[in-house]
Amino acid sequence: MTGPAIDRARLEHIAKLSALSLHDDEVDQLGRDLSAIVNYVDALASVDLTGVPPTAHVQFEASPWRADDVVAGLTREQALSSAPQVEHDGFAVPVFLEGAS
Amino acid sequence: MIEAFSIAELATKVQSGAVSATEVAHDVIARIERYNGRFNALVSVEPARILAQAAAVDQKRARGEALGALAGVPIAIKDAICTEGESTTAGSKILRGYAPPYDATVIAKLRKADALLTGKTNMDEFAMGSSNENSAYGSAKNPWDDTRTPGGSSGGSAAAVASRMALGALGSDTGGSIRQPASLTGTVGVKPTYGRVSRYGLIAFASSLDQIGPFATDVRGSARLLEVIAGHDGHDATSLNVPIDGYELACSASLKGLRVGVPEEYFAEGLSPDVEGSVRAALARLESDGCIITPIKLPHTRFAVATYYVIATAEASSNLARFDGVRYGLRVASPSLGEMYGATRDAGFGKEVKRRILLGTFVLSAGYYDAYYLRAQKMRTLIRRDFEEAFKKVDVIASPTAPTTAFKLGEKADDPLAMYLSDIYTLPASLAGVPALSVPCGADQGGMPIGLQLVAPPLQESRLFTFASAVERHYAPTLPTGVQ
Repeated sequence: MTGPAIDRARLEHIAKLSALSLHDDEVDQLGRDLSAIVNYVDALASVDLTGVPPTAHVQFEASPWRADDVVAGLTREQALSSAPQVEHDGFAVPVFLEGAS
Repeated sequence: MIEAFSIAELATKVQSGAVSATEVAHDVIARIERYNGRFNALVSVEPARILAQAAAVDQKRARGEALGALAGVPIAIKDAICTEGESTTAGSKILRGYAPPYDATVIAKLRKADALLTGKTNMDEFAMGSSNENSAYGSAKNPWDDTRTPGGSSGGSAAAVASRMALGALGSDTGGSIRQPASLTGTVGVKPTYGRVSRYGLIAFASSLDQIGPFATDVRGSARLLEVIAGHDGHDATSLNVPIDGYELACSASLKGLRVGVPEEYFAEGLSPDVEGSVRAALARLESDGCIITPIKLPHTRFAVATYYVIATAEASSNLARFDGVRYGLRVASPSLGEMYGATRDAGFGKEVKRRILLGTFVLSAGYYDAYYLRAQKMRTLIRRDFEEAFKKVDVIASPTAPTTAFKLGEKADDPLAMYLSDIYTLPASLAGVPALSVPCGADQGGMPIGLQLVAPPLQESRLFTFASAVERHYAPTLPTGVQ
């Protein structure tokens, strides 16, 4: 398998999925860097992995259950204390519904 | 003053009252004023807080209460670990000014042990890097040669300990971020078993790999620190509820008849002759101590870099979605929500972080998931099995920690792949989740420190401390030239 070079169109698509705005002057360099890394990573394709189960997470002992007790979390004031913008006791964000103002 | 003591020695002095915590605090503040400008190891220091903690420790002693295991011991904290009301930025512009409303579990444990928290240490942004050059604060410098890297991503923690601005530090290790800087700075660094230490309050990079661990000036100090921070925590579902061994006790255990595996794959092309020479000499000394040295094979080592950079970036692309300008950190005002996300993340993230988010998004995206992410997860299984097989034959695995000593700042900054390849010896243990440690074992011709990596089976950290103490008995580094 040859690695797909990350061309401009693909990079712009990934950037959109990543919620990242990219500048014109960084797109070419990023494309070259990512293509080099992806080509290197293609070494994984040289091994027959048929029948090998994936490891998502290494677990040496069973995860302990925690007691089903009610414990205090952050207060509203604490949770909002670092927010860039607060309105009506909540996190304020720009308009995201079409037609709203 | 503090440079003359190990962690255990200083704690004993403070417990007995021979030295007050306040004297330690003044000395630490003076050392930070003297050295931090040169090494850029600490990115935020609040002298008033250090003095207040010291006063509380001294008052506790005056009341006749017993002091904790880290009484008056100055410990520096990686900037990725939350400290209540104190700046915590993970080395990123996107979190500039952020002061968390709570302490990480490891911080609460250090406070309970009467440690002095001296400040937050420099790091590669979100722990993504091997040289500290990806920090929004500029790179930390290596106290042995300030034109060289202290390693990364926990480079500031390593530099703070090497220059004795602290006697211990906490770092986080995702693919080598504690062990490699320890190796490059002549300090001891431990990555515990995955699940050994709570990560509640650690700013996440790659959740299936991240683990908090200690740095110290000596092996016993690192063992004491791990004993303090280890253990189950209801706030972290991945933290294991298993007994914590006497790590400090393990430092004086005998290693007669124990088997040390030496993986041939770790002595391959790219390894500096000075590093190889030092590590082999240290192994010969272990043999003269009564260990049995056995060659072993970890055949999938050569796939570790590719496997790691797929898995870690995939997880990072998800973890870093939380930095969106809504709940904390930077916001770039924009007319719509989508534009606000994009503009905020563009302004807040550095180049390497963007590169890894994009790579991680790519390997998870439709059409590429099976070819990259799933394949890497399968390779991870083979890398784990390599260790399982090896540990049927040996008690511990020994190798170089890093292929070279500290490289020059700027040397690899423009070549991400070359930088990734410098992690080749630390990544496999991270992928397998097993504990590993780096201990100084020599210096190169230029006097730069060399580290020996020890890897043990899951939850067998005690073995690391036993073997590392033996290595240290034969070779203990001095202070860096130029640091008094």
